[in-house]
Amino acid sequence: MLARALETEGIATTSISMVREHSEKVKPPRALFVPFPFGHALGRPDDPDLQHRVLRATLDLLAEPAGPVLRDFPDDAEPGGEPPAPAQASAIAPAASVPEDPALETAQMRQYHEQWMARSGGRTAFGLSGVPATRFRGVVRFLQAFAAGEDPDMAERPADVPLPNFIRYCADDWKALYFEGRLAMKPGATGDDVTRWFWAETAAGHLLRRVRDRLDASQDPRWKAAGFGVAR
Amino acid sequence: MPRLDRLPPLNRNNLLMLPVQINDTAPFTRPAAPLSACRLAIVTTAGLHRRGDRPFGPADQTYRIIPADAPAATIVQSHTSLGFDRVPTMRDLNISFPVDRLRELVARGELGGSAPRHYSFMGAQRELRRIQEETGPEVGRRLREEGVAIALITPT
Repeated sequence: MLARALETEGIATTSISMVREHSEKVKPPRALFVPFPFGHALGRPDDPDLQHRVLRATLDLLAEPAGPVLRDFPDDAEPGGEPPAPAQASAIAPAASVPEDPALETAQMRQYHEQWMARSGGRTAFGLSGVPATRFRGVVRFLQAFAAGEDPDMAERPADVPLPNFIRYCADDWKALYFEGRLAMKPGATGDDVTRWFWAETAAGHLLRRVRDRLDASQDPRWKAAGFGVAR
Repeated sequence: MPRLDRLPPLNRNNLLMLPVQINDTAPFTRPAAPLSACRLAIVTTAGLHRRGDRPFGPADQTYRIIPADAPAATIVQSHTSLGFDRVPTMRDLNISFPVDRLRELVARGELGGSAPRHYSFMGAQRELRRIQEETGPEVGRRLREEGVAIALITPT
């Protein structure tokens, strides 16, 4: 849809498509369907050769004389044996014993996250809520109170960001802290490994399931939507 | 993405239920010059933006501008749907936003140049009218003004 809007303005577009069935209907002017798992548009992280092959195949479509063009990337493998879509919390059983104090656990994960930051040159997915990692204990308390049925709020929530959206950003930042911290702990871990660890073994995963439950129990579709983004 | 028949039923049904527009034809603009003489911009639907920019929210049909020289450490992703794995983007921004790969293509002379700015939208949207009628064409006009011939559209 976006490609079509740009093309109409005189820009030649070429797209990477993750869902062939959608591209067949929408008909972007040029699209390369890739058979990779969601989140892997160009193939595999830190694999410039594969990324260049995907890019080249996408750019080659620009030589076509007419369109729409929908071509399949020749590889038909899911890189690294990753599942086609992430496992969800509802399909991951909590471990028999999970740490009890999410604030303490968060303080510990922050140490690993600092290692991640040092290795990644400062790159991090953290930073949507606006609350710095050094003050994340406040976010944990806020989420605990929310899950317990209270009506907490945070001074850091911008006036134009509705509460459920802010909760979602807090949950996303919290996950980023843990996921990247886990990658520092276990550099060889896959996305699937980290996802399963998070939902099975952490106090954060346990609390976020309860945050989701409260959001999902609301009649307000915006709350339900936020819950669907926190855990499924 | 995976072939739909390889997906768990919940994901597959979510995708099949998503109302998408059905078109019979596509607008088609042929690039006026070979790739080695064209300037290219990335237009991503991965919901990327600079940290400190307003994050994308639900059903957000606006866009963010990412200067081509923005360091990777300044970029975050507020498209955080549980439908995709965030770890690849955490490890390597190029998986959705291949700025390093573009620099390599330019250095090898295969691509004329990178645009001064890239653009970012939120993906996985149900309602797209504003992108279709307003924000999409607006980005198209900006790209034209910036001398961009080609847009590479990348999802997450």
